[in-house]
Amino acid sequence: MNPSLVTTQEAIDPVFIFILGISLVMLVGITIAMIYFIIRYHRSRQPEPTSDVDHNLGLEVVWTVIPTLIVLAMFYFGWASFLTLRNVPEGALEISATARMWSWTFEYAGGQTSNRLRVPVGQPVKVNLHSVDVLHAFYAPAFRVKRDMVPGMENYVWFTAPEAGSYDIFCAEYCGVGHADMTTSIEALPPEEFEHWLRQEAAPETADLGRELLGKHGCLGCHSLDGSQMVGPTFKGLSGREATVLQDGVEKTLVTDRDYLERSILQPGHDIVKGYPPVMPGYEGRIPEGELVQILDYLTGAAAPAKPKPDGAALVQQNGCLGCHSDDGSSKVGPTFKELFGAQRTVSVDGETRSLTADRVYLERAILEPSAELVEGYPGMMPPYGHLSADQVEAIIDYLEGLGK
Amino acid sequence: MSDVTATSGRGFWDNSGGRSGLAAWIFSTDHKRIGLMYFWSIVIFFLVGVMLGLLIRLELIAPGVNFLGAQRYNATFTLHGVIMIFLFIIPGVPAAFGNLVMPIQIGAEDVAFPRLNLASFWFYAIGATLALVSLFTAGGAPDTGWTFYVPFSTRTTTNVSLAVFAVFILGFSGILTGMNFLTTVHRLRAPGMTWTRLPLFTWSLYATAWVQVLATPVLAITLVLIMAERLVGTGLFDPASGGDPIMYQHLFWIYSHPAVYIMILPAMGVISDIIPVFARKPVFGYKAIAISSIAIAAAGSLVWGHHMFTSGMSDMAVLVFSLLTFIVAIPSAIKVFNWVSTLYKGSIRLDPPMVYALSFVLLFSIGGLGGLILGAPGTDVHVHDTYFVVGHFHYVMFGGTGFAFFAAMHYWLPKYYGRTYNKKVALWAWGLMFIGFNFLYMPMQILGMQGMPRRYYDYVPKFADLNLLATISSWVLAAGLLLMFANVFYGLFRGKPFGTNPWGGASLEWTATATPPLLENFTEEPIVTHGPYDFKQAGVRADD
Repeated sequence: MNPSLVTTQEAIDPVFIFILGISLVMLVGITIAMIYFIIRYHRSRQPEPTSDVDHNLGLEVVWTVIPTLIVLAMFYFGWASFLTLRNVPEGALEISATARMWSWTFEYAGGQTSNRLRVPVGQPVKVNLHSVDVLHAFYAPAFRVKRDMVPGMENYVWFTAPEAGSYDIFCAEYCGVGHADMTTSIEALPPEEFEHWLRQEAAPETADLGRELLGKHGCLGCHSLDGSQMVGPTFKGLSGREATVLQDGVEKTLVTDRDYLERSILQPGHDIVKGYPPVMPGYEGRIPEGELVQILDYLTGAAAPAKPKPDGAALVQQNGCLGCHSDDGSSKVGPTFKELFGAQRTVSVDGETRSLTADRVYLERAILEPSAELVEGYPGMMPPYGHLSADQVEAIIDYLEGLGK
Repeated sequence: MSDVTATSGRGFWDNSGGRSGLAAWIFSTDHKRIGLMYFWSIVIFFLVGVMLGLLIRLELIAPGVNFLGAQRYNATFTLHGVIMIFLFIIPGVPAAFGNLVMPIQIGAEDVAFPRLNLASFWFYAIGATLALVSLFTAGGAPDTGWTFYVPFSTRTTTNVSLAVFAVFILGFSGILTGMNFLTTVHRLRAPGMTWTRLPLFTWSLYATAWVQVLATPVLAITLVLIMAERLVGTGLFDPASGGDPIMYQHLFWIYSHPAVYIMILPAMGVISDIIPVFARKPVFGYKAIAISSIAIAAAGSLVWGHHMFTSGMSDMAVLVFSLLTFIVAIPSAIKVFNWVSTLYKGSIRLDPPMVYALSFVLLFSIGGLGGLILGAPGTDVHVHDTYFVVGHFHYVMFGGTGFAFFAAMHYWLPKYYGRTYNKKVALWAWGLMFIGFNFLYMPMQILGMQGMPRRYYDYVPKFADLNLLATISSWVLAAGLLLMFANVFYGLFRGKPFGTNPWGGASLEWTATATPPLLENFTEEPIVTHGPYDFKQAGVRADD
């Protein structure tokens, strides 16, 4: 059978029925035999045993061989149905799932994100599973699929939703105090509706020519865009900062302005940033003048379109804050966001309690360094959110202010 | 052999080795005293575990937060698991009844290394104390589940390190007891006690001891690695430092799956000893039962990966572990067929030990057959980490080993006290427990098939009815347990006198010792001339 013609639940359910059926027959057989023997050979009917038989080779061979054949059949069907779970049909829609303590984010090919998994009805969907902290597991009972989400490892599940509707997703690998609350749903939509939703959510694409050129010329092989450490310094926040460089072995401090950046691209050996190996080839004559301008515009931010201000409400969703903090006043793992801003809090700092007002400064600290001040009555479980940019933190605090005092 | 029945007095109770009071117990190297110390500590921990289990059920009586809340619930199920597994079910039958019965069954005065035996008990006592201390000290009660899965267990701020260290110490107790029993069975059998005349309870302890000695050190290593991870950040299981969380799971289950056989094999031995006595017939397929104990111990050491079908380990590993798992099912099935066949054409007495033993066969079969669903990878994926698993292992561990422990308690314990319980009350208690048990754990298996994950303090409303039924049944089960223990304990101290061999057993603890047994068990070394279930040749009858 072509695996793509079978959904996961169609593959697994017959195996359940097969194993449960045989088990039931055996259980009933054993129970009836026991009860019959107990009644028939009860000492009130049979004061002395009438047999001393203590073995019967034929019988023992039979009840060794038959169970062996039965369990081998169970093994075969169990394995074959497992393969259906592992073999993703061609043309499956790929969606990425990220789990964290204690929420889910799903990301679609166009960059859209959501907290509920939206899928088109009738199309196989492959969900790539990631975890950013501890073990979690993606479990959709309706489709009989489950797979652990392991930090540092990529796992996947696939399924096809047969009809429109909402299906449970549970975290099935124990992950701490919010484990039971780490639930969401699969929203299966008719294909047109799904497409419509995708288009609506699509982030407005800005043609980022400079960024594309960095890729084309291979710059991104050694320089990251996101601040991570590679062979060369990252491009993130590169422009306009002070840098310590070596000019012919002499240490110097300079500002990374547009001229410096141009020189670094064309004659990288002139100034070597301290701490990095002098391995970059010169790009003199290898980049057309127009493209160089584009790249410099990109690196210095001149080309950047006026960025829309980050949306605090969306950030709170995407970063899973609502997994532990409610926005409606109800108590979860952490304190609620409702009427948090400007409220009086009792916190403990290194074991000492003190009282403070939840102002902007406090909230920023609470996001970036949550363990510094713990709110009374709540476990100190929140991870630091240092990867948020200053803009993003500000947007989140604006959002909190909006939830009012 | 009739002279022993004439022995008067209180046997080993009258001879405390020159010590008095508490010292007569905690410094005693008499296997019977050590066995009784294990028994009473294990029963106390069991009752604590039961109370924690009732609290878990109370939280789950309805959706939403009831009584406990998330963090306390997580600590409660962790403690329930750690106490029940490491303090009750692993040492339960082998340490308590193994010590009480095994040396007498083979005609020995004591175990091979009596002082080491006392040291094992001390390790058990220290480990158990540390586990309790970890509840009340820095950071709060551990909340990782009894599996201590990384990376969560290396991150949580609760007192995991001490709990892990406690389990490490408990492991030593098991290793030392295992070595002791192996040596005892090899070296101290009485004249004529050939390997084919060993009672099947001793055979099962022998198979178990090999697993204890070979598998427990792996757990010890794994636990040391967790402590290193927490205390100095070695990073062995942390992907950010090149470590691997799945490797932890392999190491953990390399011990903890064989541990399942440490729990169930001695229980099977108890059943194999009790059923023939109350059917008045030799056990059917003695050799098959003995060999299947060894087969389970050997093959059972190679199936740990079936706990990890959804973990992300390779599909090839899933194939191999699934196949091996199904192969382990075969010797277990053979034992069930042998027990049932032993009843055929016997003369069956439904005394309390027999009723508990027969219900073991039924409950163990339900648990074992449910295990087939878990062994098949396709179906396991759906029910892995759901209430189906919780129901399954309670059928095998509680319905199996727990009921075997109760059967052993009703069968052997009066022999050591010289007094016995009320049989009618024992049967009433059994009835309550049997009903409560099935209406507690069967709903769990159904809930799991419907998709309710385990370790959830809160659940979606569609799971509410069966959870309510399970919680109510937990009270029925608890009432049965209370009645059973009250009846047995009252009987042991105040009950009617218990004769030398009222059940009509043919093994040495019934035919060659006084009630209660003497300090070194026998007045003269017994000479064995027949098998342990050869009631005719032994010339034994049950009292009416």
